[in-house]
Amino acid sequence: MPYLKTSTEWYEQSSLLLKARPTTTRITSKYTVLKPSASKIKKREKYAAKQAAKPADTSRTSSPPPQSNPTDVTATFILKTYDPVSGTCLQYETTKGAEVGRLINSLGRLGREMAALPEAIDDLSAPQDAGVATPNVDEQGDVKMAGVPVPAAAGTGAGKKKKKGKK
Amino acid sequence: MGREHLTNDEFFTQLANLFEHNRTKGHGSVYLTQKRLTFDSTSTPATLTKVADDPLWDTHPENPLPVLIRASNNRSDKKAGTDRKDIAKIVLSTIVKPDDIDTFYIRYAEACKTGMSSLKKRDRKKGKKDKKKKKVAA
Repeated sequence: MPYLKTSTEWYEQSSLLLKARPTTTRITSKYTVLKPSASKIKKREKYAAKQAAKPADTSRTSSPPPQSNPTDVTATFILKTYDPVSGTCLQYETTKGAEVGRLINSLGRLGREMAALPEAIDDLSAPQDAGVATPNVDEQGDVKMAGVPVPAAAGTGAGKKKKKGKK
Repeated sequence: MGREHLTNDEFFTQLANLFEHNRTKGHGSVYLTQKRLTFDSTSTPATLTKVADDPLWDTHPENPLPVLIRASNNRSDKKAGTDRKDIAKIVLSTIVKPDDIDTFYIRYAEACKTGMSSLKKRDRKKGKKDKKKKKVAA
C-alpha cells in the first residue's frame, strides 16, 4: 500500500491501472477531520514551548510563522485507487486545501477512463483550466503531455500491470 | 442495499449536507468512491459479456459506460468522556451517464472545495511577510 509522493504520479499510475483493469478498479477518496487526542495536545504544547524557547537562545529575531493552536483539528484528504483482483493499491495523501480542485479534476479524467470515453479533448478541458491558478495550468500541461504517449502504449502498459499483479 | 440511486442534482444537495454535517460535528470523515457501473437493473447491456478468448475483454467496451459515485460518512458510537454521539451512517449514491461526466465533475470539484474547509489554507502571504521581516532584522 504505497503512498505516492506527488499527485501527478498518483494520477499516472492510477491511469495505467485503470487501463489494465477498468471494470474492477475503484477510486475511494476520504476526507477526514480528526480532533487531537489529549496526548497529542500535550505533545504539541511541548513542541510549541520548545520552539518559543529556541529563538531566545540563538538570538534569532524571526521564527517560523506562529504555531497553530494545539487543539486544532487535523484534516487530511486521501485518494486511493484499488483493484481487488490484482490487489494493487495506490494512495496519495494531502493536507492542503489548495490541492483539492486539482485532485478532483484528475478524478474526473480518471472517471472518463472508467466510462471508456476517449481522453479529454483540449476544448473540453480548456474552460476548466481557465478557472485554475497559473501554477496549476503548468502542472496540467505536464499531465497532458505525459498522457499523450500513454494511449499508444496502452497495450504494453496493461500487460506490464497484469504481470505486476500476479506477483 | 436496496436503496435508490439519487439523481445528480439530489446527490449534490445531499453531499453538501454531508459535508455540512461533518463541519458542525467538528470531526469525522467523508468517503467518496467512484467506479465503473458494469450492470444496470433497468437495461442490461449485452456489451460487457466476458469473452473467453480475449483476456482484455473489458478494456475496450463497445459503448461508453456510466460511472457509479458513492458518498458516505462514518458511523460513530457514543463514547463516555467525549462529546461523541451515536450517529447513523449516511450513504448516498448516484449514477453519472457518460455524456454528463464533464459537467458532473466540475460541480463535484466545487462541492468538494467548499466542503473540505478544514484542510490547510494557503499561507503564502505569511511566508513572504516573514522573509521581509527577516531582511529588516538582518
